[in-house]
Amino acid sequence: MGRYAVELESVSTYYYGEKRPAIRDVSLRIPAGSLALITGPNGAGKTTLLETIIGILRARRGRVRVLGYEVPREAAKVRRMTSYVPQDFMKPPAEPFTAREVAAMGLSSMRPLGQLTKADWNRVDQVLELLGMSECSEKPFGKLSGGQQQKIMIARALVRDPKLLLLDEPFSAVDRESRRLISRRIFPKLLNGGCTILFVSHHPEPDLLEPDIVVELEEGAIRGVAAQGVRASC
Amino acid sequence: MRRELSAGWRLKVSALLVSSLVGGLLAGGLCGSIGMLCYRLRLMTMAFAMAHAALAGSALALAAGSEATSTAMILALATAMVLGPLADRFGIPLDLMSMILFSTYNALTFIFIVLSPGPALMTESVGQLLWGSILAIRPGYIAALSAAVLASAVFLALFWGRINPILFDPRLAEAEGVNVKLYRYAILLLAGVITTLALRLTGGFLVFSLLYLPAASSLQLQSSMKKLVLSAWAIGSASAAAGLGLSFLLDLPAGSCIAIAAAIIFLGSAAYSRMRAWSGIEGP
Repeated sequence: MGRYAVELESVSTYYYGEKRPAIRDVSLRIPAGSLALITGPNGAGKTTLLETIIGILRARRGRVRVLGYEVPREAAKVRRMTSYVPQDFMKPPAEPFTAREVAAMGLSSMRPLGQLTKADWNRVDQVLELLGMSECSEKPFGKLSGGQQQKIMIARALVRDPKLLLLDEPFSAVDRESRRLISRRIFPKLLNGGCTILFVSHHPEPDLLEPDIVVELEEGAIRGVAAQGVRASC
Repeated sequence: MRRELSAGWRLKVSALLVSSLVGGLLAGGLCGSIGMLCYRLRLMTMAFAMAHAALAGSALALAAGSEATSTAMILALATAMVLGPLADRFGIPLDLMSMILFSTYNALTFIFIVLSPGPALMTESVGQLLWGSILAIRPGYIAALSAAVLASAVFLALFWGRINPILFDPRLAEAEGVNVKLYRYAILLLAGVITTLALRLTGGFLVFSLLYLPAASSLQLQSSMKKLVLSAWAIGSASAAAGLGLSFLLDLPAGSCIAIAAAIIFLGSAAYSRMRAWSGIEGP
């Protein structure tokens, strides 16, 4: 991996059947080990940008390079080192998985045949404890509150020990205490360990989040990029 | 002489009943469990289209005088392979594409039946094709079902850890590096093989009842994914066995009896689930 964790060159992504791109001509470089805040109003293209980076959506034009790999050609390698917390995480009450099982799913794509070891389960339990979710771990995922479900999804992302963490409105249902814990204690640890974080929010909280870079999107294009702080790349 | 003949017949009937029961248990269980996976993966309409592809394949074999199971399986598996690309090509949802194929296959089925030798809709083979027969259960058929059970069990045991994230959220699983397409196709192919085999027992028009109803019953009773699949297996087996028993006793079509038995089990499990809810016991 080079100096940049994410490099986009003139990238345009279209949804199927659409003539207008969801993001257009986006060029962006996110240094490795930095926290980037991606902001903008609804429909600005924030989620599309994240899903283009991870290769779930294919860029029709331009070049996407993530963690030193070309996307979508080498998307499988990128995905193994990346965690993604999607915006639409809510599940119905009848969901047949416990919170602990959902958190553990983050590791199963990284293990042979998806089989988890005792050490893997210990790691899952540690992360759940870190997020204050141990007591809920055996409850059905769908019967948790929205905030609890969101924290389990964050736990699922963290157990993977990612090199790149993509968070799409991860605090939309989480209480302030948990937001503080994640922003002030967990993010710095990840960044110091060399992880790059892309944090999407249309309503950022400046007192909680201290991004290195702020990318502002509007109508699918970059309206502005501001480098706010200097954080050493690890 | 008369007594010996009667004893011989009794033996034949017993053997037929035992093999029917074994065949029904295997086919019903297979359909129930694969139906639950298809439901979770939102592949039900695809499985429905595949079941009717198998029916059209069997009807084609009837008209052409060729072997039915292999023709049915080829058409069912070909449907699984082309559904996705066809939906993409025409830019329409997969469910709608499945329904287009379902209608086409139904039309083809009737054309092939009319073209089949002998008086249409009156031969035993046409009856077996449309509403199933316990006479379809022979040792070769039970061997094929046993092989399908073994293949399904090995597949699920080996890849359960990979399939679970897909059952929870396929898009997130894909983002985490799971080859979602590969596993969805594998499950769909398995569904194609299973519905083709079960078709001989239930008939083409009712084979999907063994995919839908045990899954729906299981959802009323269980709350964990593993238990949902296992209970759908048990309910599918029980439906098929009870239906075949009814068919034998009342001399009614096997497929209809199996579908009715599965529907009764569904009503029972739904009532049980409501009773639990009323009595304050936490349901699934």
